[in-house]
Amino acid sequence: MEDRQIEVLIEQANVQRGLANWRGAIDLLQRALSLDPDHAQAHATLALALLGARRLPGAGIEARMALALDGNDSYCHYAAAHVMYAERKLDDAWSHCLVAIETDSHDADTHVLGAAIRDLRGETTEARELLETALELEPGHTGALTKLARMELEARNHEAAAGYAEQALRSSPSDNDAHIAAGLIDLARGDHASAEGHARFALGQDSTDHDAIHLWAAIKAHRSPVLGLWWRFHMFVSMRTEAGELGLLIGSFVVVEILTILAGHFDLDRVKSILDWGWLGFCAYTWFAPELFKRMLANDLGTVVLDPEF
Amino acid sequence: MSYTIADEPHETSLGAYVVNPSAPLLASMMCGAWMTWPWFAFNAIAMGSPTKKKELTLCAIALGGTVLLGWLALALVDAGWIPLGTPFKLAMLGISTWKLALAYYISTVQSRTFHVYEYYGGTVRAAGAIIGTGFWIKGIVFALSDDPLWIIIVSGGL
Repeated sequence: MEDRQIEVLIEQANVQRGLANWRGAIDLLQRALSLDPDHAQAHATLALALLGARRLPGAGIEARMALALDGNDSYCHYAAAHVMYAERKLDDAWSHCLVAIETDSHDADTHVLGAAIRDLRGETTEARELLETALELEPGHTGALTKLARMELEARNHEAAAGYAEQALRSSPSDNDAHIAAGLIDLARGDHASAEGHARFALGQDSTDHDAIHLWAAIKAHRSPVLGLWWRFHMFVSMRTEAGELGLLIGSFVVVEILTILAGHFDLDRVKSILDWGWLGFCAYTWFAPELFKRMLANDLGTVVLDPEF
Repeated sequence: MSYTIADEPHETSLGAYVVNPSAPLLASMMCGAWMTWPWFAFNAIAMGSPTKKKELTLCAIALGGTVLLGWLALALVDAGWIPLGTPFKLAMLGISTWKLALAYYISTVQSRTFHVYEYYGGTVRAAGAIIGTGFWIKGIVFALSDDPLWIIIVSGGL
């Protein structure tokens, strides 16, 4: 009886995940785990829901707990691979994904996840093979088509990318990821109005979708050169791991300070002054620009209304 | 009883005094380390952070490391190994870098819990007035002792 109740709660949580209602999904899974704290599938699903809510540390703990409870379950390996991919532990993510593929070779989602991992490892040929397999298993799989669109976009093959995005949208017209990919492609081709339409649609469905907010911000950055500069800097920094980000920022500080001290040592007062003011300006700009950017986005998001004709 | 997720902060009676972790980070630049480490530690306790132990340990490491580096730098100056002037400034830059790196790292660790704290509707206090007050009284704190080691410990990352 209890098992059936837990299964129903997991099913309901998966429906909420599909609707991007992360909080609802998390609440349901917490209820399931109150009934049975050792339910591996509930822990794995909770890991995926927490990942959706961008609670990576919690997702990591839940995914590892699921694996510890049932190391033979393909879904537990799939969830672990997903979380480790988000943690950028790509080798571990791939080994878990491989176990999931070997255990359940007919699941297209696992192949798409595998493709994302291998693509990030720079293995684009292998990633494409996995996506082709996913499409053989499930023709018109939106995730596979969207990933192909993003890969073509990265390779600057805009026409091919647009083709895949169009197929993905035909296959699933309300899929957020497909709209975001189509928006990014339009942005790269200079069609800002169409890109904004896709961003509006995605945000209208889920105003917390991080990728949709990124697309929206990228469109705004193209229109405002001052804030656009900060956005590019932010993207450049945030591409790194936390340690890389820390190293880059502290490294920049140290380099500027050493140059300032040396300028003082050699009596280069003008250079010292330029370095001092330049660094102060950079600090002030990088402190205030995100605030301005957030306010601008918050204003815009408050007015996002879905265009019925879109 | 509901299942508790490991990253969830627990409720504390100090919840009304929680600030965004970027506030103590800013204080490290504007006011000094005397304000940063205790503030980070207090924020971890007030938020009921599940990583409280780690955050408090990092604050202790930051303080201990600064004392050690400061003492070492001054000992090397006394021994004549570091002459005053540019070499001394570079040594002080090393200590500033240590403080800033630790402050940035603690802020990153604390931000993870803060994100979840906000997610569950936790209250967040504006920190502008506290930083303003800290900036205003930092001269008094620096003047509490004329020992150079004291200045090294309490001064800011910049």
